[in-house]
Amino acid sequence: MSRSPDHPIRVNLEKCGGCVHCLTACPTRAIRVRDNKAQVLGDLCIDCGECIRYCPNDAIESRTTSFSDLRAFRYKVAIPATVLYGQFGNDTTPNEVLSALRHEGFDQVFELSSICELYASAAEEYLAAHPQPRPLISTTCPVVVRLIQRRYPSLCGLIVPIEPPREIAAKILRATLPGVLKLAPEEIGLIHITPCPAKIVSINRPATMAKSYLDGAISIRDIYPRLLQALKKIDESTIMHHLFPANVFSGLGLGWSLSGGETRGLKKHRTIAVSGVRDTIRVLDQVEAGQLKDVDYLECMVCPDGCVGGPLAVENRFITKSRILRLVSMASEKVGVERADFGPFVRENFLSFQHPVKPIEVPLLDPDPVEAIRKATRRDELLRLLPGKDCGACGAPDCLTLAEDIVRGLADLDDCPLFRKEIR
Amino acid sequence: MEEDLCYRQEYSLKGGEFARAGEVSRRIKDLLKELGLDVQVVRRAAIASFEAEMNVIMYAFQGTVRLAVTPADVTIIVDDHGPGIPDIELAMTEGYSTATREMRELGFGAGMGLPNIKRNADVFRIVSEPGRGTRLEMTFARDGRPS
Repeated sequence: MSRSPDHPIRVNLEKCGGCVHCLTACPTRAIRVRDNKAQVLGDLCIDCGECIRYCPNDAIESRTTSFSDLRAFRYKVAIPATVLYGQFGNDTTPNEVLSALRHEGFDQVFELSSICELYASAAEEYLAAHPQPRPLISTTCPVVVRLIQRRYPSLCGLIVPIEPPREIAAKILRATLPGVLKLAPEEIGLIHITPCPAKIVSINRPATMAKSYLDGAISIRDIYPRLLQALKKIDESTIMHHLFPANVFSGLGLGWSLSGGETRGLKKHRTIAVSGVRDTIRVLDQVEAGQLKDVDYLECMVCPDGCVGGPLAVENRFITKSRILRLVSMASEKVGVERADFGPFVRENFLSFQHPVKPIEVPLLDPDPVEAIRKATRRDELLRLLPGKDCGACGAPDCLTLAEDIVRGLADLDDCPLFRKEIR
Repeated sequence: MEEDLCYRQEYSLKGGEFARAGEVSRRIKDLLKELGLDVQVVRRAAIASFEAEMNVIMYAFQGTVRLAVTPADVTIIVDDHGPGIPDIELAMTEGYSTATREMRELGFGAGMGLPNIKRNADVFRIVSEPGRGTRLEMTFARDGRPS
């Protein structure tokens, strides 16, 4: 296995066939094929998982929390993304899914949809109290936060300083459980269940606090077979209806796994919902060019159609979307979460970032401005020599990237098979 | 010669090509970031070049954008073949616009373009010959605004 440190994306070298699918799929041009195997460049990777989606050999994997890691905790709480409810047959209810998680060894399961509603009301308040700057950008998608830190440093200040629902939920549990259970905080494991490869990064290296309130993230892919088995075993008598009566499910919150779900809760403001990594990049480019100042709130989700399109989900996103929409229509729109409902634990700033999102430096062409100008000029000259087919045969995703790798000393003009053929 | 060191790039624009609007300024912005320019300088250059690009797309037949980056500053010169601007002073007034209804419906033509360029550039020059075209020249000092 090879992977760059700090990133969950890794290439299974036995399965990797050295083709170019992941190269062209990567929106930040972070993959190269060397010695017939794909390599992920950690400085450029934003953990979006597009490569996982496009690899025909299923050779790109995401490192998430394993079931054996859970043994470290005496009390385990699962905090599933609401996408999980749409992964099973049409007749499977959220209650059954939550019960299946308990069956699989979680001592408690925390339902997130009401917390999404709480976030929406906090965001509404924040927008009203801060008429400038615009547009403010949602924090829900960790890849968007990472993308902004790296590629749009000037937009860091536009990120709404409210922690995403998964972290708010974990923070509430952190504040309440140790006292209730009489356990030391480290004995309690708070585990997110997710379709997203980037959540583990947001837990291990959070952008807005010293330490995440979550202890790990298990992918839906990994837990799916177990839940499927558990669902067969549980019957009406083992479903704990009393724990999750119908009125805990917020229609508004359940819809958050779909693009536009979050903005739906912000009725008083002008909002835009974007999904898909390339469209997100396009819209963030517009924001950086000073457009969209008349928009209050921008929801960007890098997965197609929102979290339902997460690369670590099992069911295809169209079916998931249909099931989630059905759940949304069956649940009441709001369960009436007020910040006050969380009692003494929701003090002022309870939902806020510990510190603002800070830019992450990206590798420049050269740290020396004079040398950088030379390299940019040389790169353009090289680009004119290259065939412009963007075929990926050299191991870089396109001719421009090869030219750039050459001036950085990472590749050679001879790496291009078409160039070699021409000079012969 | 160190003083002669300069990165040059040229981009062409076509009037009416709204579908590609923003492409040139985005490329300029990405390049300036790679060259390690200050975030705020990149931001101002991106905004100003976007406005200049839109002016060509909205009003002119065609245009060229020439970018020159030296260790000291960034210069962007936008030349267009177009109707030109008869009264530059008036065109520089905030809110003044000759945009058509269609352009306004697309969210452009609020009459802030030229004033916005002037506000964001450290040095700004505009020359126009009615019936022939317009030239905008903007310079951004690498280490922020000159005092």
